[in-house]
Amino acid sequence: MSSPLIKVSNLTVSTSDDNRTLVNSVSFEIAPGEAVGVVGESGSGKTLTALSLLGLLPRGVQATAGSISYDGKDLLHTDSETLRSIRGNKIAMIYQDPMTALNPVMRLGAQLIEVIESHEGQSGDATERVLTAFSDVGIPDPKRAYESYPHEFSGGMRQRVMIAMALLLSPELLIADEPTTALDVTIQQQILALVMHERRKRNMSMLWITHDLGVVANLVDRVIVMYAGRIVEVGSVKDVFTNPQHPYTAGLLASLPKASDKNRTRLVSIPGIPPKPWTVGESCAFSARCTRADDQCRTTLPLLRENSSTQAACFHLMGEKR
Amino acid sequence: MTLAITDVTKKYKIRTTGAQVNALNGVTIVLPAKQTLGIVGESGCGKSTLARMITGLEQPTAGTVTWNNEEIFDKAKNMLSSKHSKIQLVFQDPYSSLNPRQKIGEALSEVLTVHKLVEKSAIPARIDELLTEVGISPDLAHRYPHQLSGGQRQRVSIARALASQPDLLVLDEPVSALDVSVRAEVMNLLIDLRERLGLTYIFISHDLSMIRHISDQIAVMYLGRIVESGSWDAVLENPRHPYTRALIAAMPDHTMVGNDLYEAPLAGEVPDPAAMPSGCAFHLRCPIAVPSCAVNIQNLREVEESHLIACQEVK
Repeated sequence: MSSPLIKVSNLTVSTSDDNRTLVNSVSFEIAPGEAVGVVGESGSGKTLTALSLLGLLPRGVQATAGSISYDGKDLLHTDSETLRSIRGNKIAMIYQDPMTALNPVMRLGAQLIEVIESHEGQSGDATERVLTAFSDVGIPDPKRAYESYPHEFSGGMRQRVMIAMALLLSPELLIADEPTTALDVTIQQQILALVMHERRKRNMSMLWITHDLGVVANLVDRVIVMYAGRIVEVGSVKDVFTNPQHPYTAGLLASLPKASDKNRTRLVSIPGIPPKPWTVGESCAFSARCTRADDQCRTTLPLLRENSSTQAACFHLMGEKR
Repeated sequence: MTLAITDVTKKYKIRTTGAQVNALNGVTIVLPAKQTLGIVGESGCGKSTLARMITGLEQPTAGTVTWNNEEIFDKAKNMLSSKHSKIQLVFQDPYSSLNPRQKIGEALSEVLTVHKLVEKSAIPARIDELLTEVGISPDLAHRYPHQLSGGQRQRVSIARALASQPDLLVLDEPVSALDVSVRAEVMNLLIDLRERLGLTYIFISHDLSMIRHISDQIAVMYLGRIVESGSWDAVLENPRHPYTRALIAAMPDHTMVGNDLYEAPLAGEVPDPAAMPSGCAFHLRCPIAVPSCAVNIQNLREVEESHLIACQEVK
């Protein structure tokens, strides 16, 4: 593997006032041109991990350990000026709700011009570039869009505007936090098709965060599974989805109805709920819900280890006899 | 007992502009007792309007909705008489449908009291019974909704709906707001309750995989009309309407790793129900549309036994 575009090492995110750990020792790399999916349920730490990459953690939450190396810099310990030059330029992000990223009282054209000028200063061809960006993402009438406000657009069209904005300065890495979750399925399919097309065209890296396993199955190369603030499994999307080794991943996949199941057999459910990450201590966070757990799981933290198909943090992999 | 929805239309007026929103444009459904009808469609297709109509929260502009040959909306006017309580609605988000300042036991007790369902002295026992029915320990009756997990909250919503011993439950996206790993247990609970209590379900969802899992019959809706209906396997294994086909193709499927599913998405967006397209409402996005589709309104017709579609181009 060539040298990674970005390398996250032992990233730990905690609350500032009472030091509760929300993301715990997360490490991963993204290669140039590679698409990586992060799947997990609410509270698993997937969004905080992504926000850390851009220095956008919400107030009251901070990265307390680890490093994020990108282009010779550690993004966790760099000045805000440097971060600002990277954000929106080299690393861009799209969100679940475009209204959080778009200014509701500013015309769309002006918002995209602002992106260009804040990174490159005055630019004579900025208008032309914005119109091209609109047409590239399939907005039917770019000139009209340029003069429009966000509320004049449908959810799907706003998401296209946000993608146009994110791609405007040709970022090396696009981070997406559930950008299609609020959309209808046929519109979701359009947006995913658009992102796939742009990614191939630009050979852009991607970090795609979602709770929907179906969405990443056909979108990314590698997938990271998070549970209670830690990575529990990582591997190629094919290996993780067809031969999962961590009991949590296996349980999650088994709980989904399958179109190939003609008999509609009873769904396999995982009893209980995920624990708060800071309550787990030095044990496997999944042990309380796991049918394979023993005393070792309840007292010792399993670390990611290689196996025949993926890397999983478990003492009793699905592929091993139990 | 049968749910009969006959040629129902629902139009809303937008007060500021005077525009008319066509939420339902002639929907007919016959659902025998103890069957589950899955209704699937995207925003603006009218599925939630239909849910509100079946529960008597809205009056049809035209057409009739009857349960057991009795007009539902008439009863709604007299809700406290509890006849109406034979039909209950479960909402998508249990966090907003439960009162945050009311203990869950009180939420159930309120229903039992208002509908005069049991003697006052029997209320505590009935609360225990209802919570047990949905797999929640009666010890939790003194908890507030925020002290429960999302799955437990949805179980409480279901228990509240069951308090009046309904015949028909309208489930409006009952698992969509839940985390993936708890959806399965709520689906299993719904299936168990259906068997145990002989319930009839209207299961509304945008998620075809859940619709597929629970439904006997399926109706696919687009802009206030049913475009395809039939048994679950006929509709999903042998879809005939171009919209149903597109919907199935667009559904993300985790078992299809590496397939390029994003090659030919359906073009365009769902039109505004306040500005309905002429003819077949789907013709603007339809891959097989011909010019006459912009003129001819399509009515449901049988393509095989009990399998109906509203499309002139499918032979």
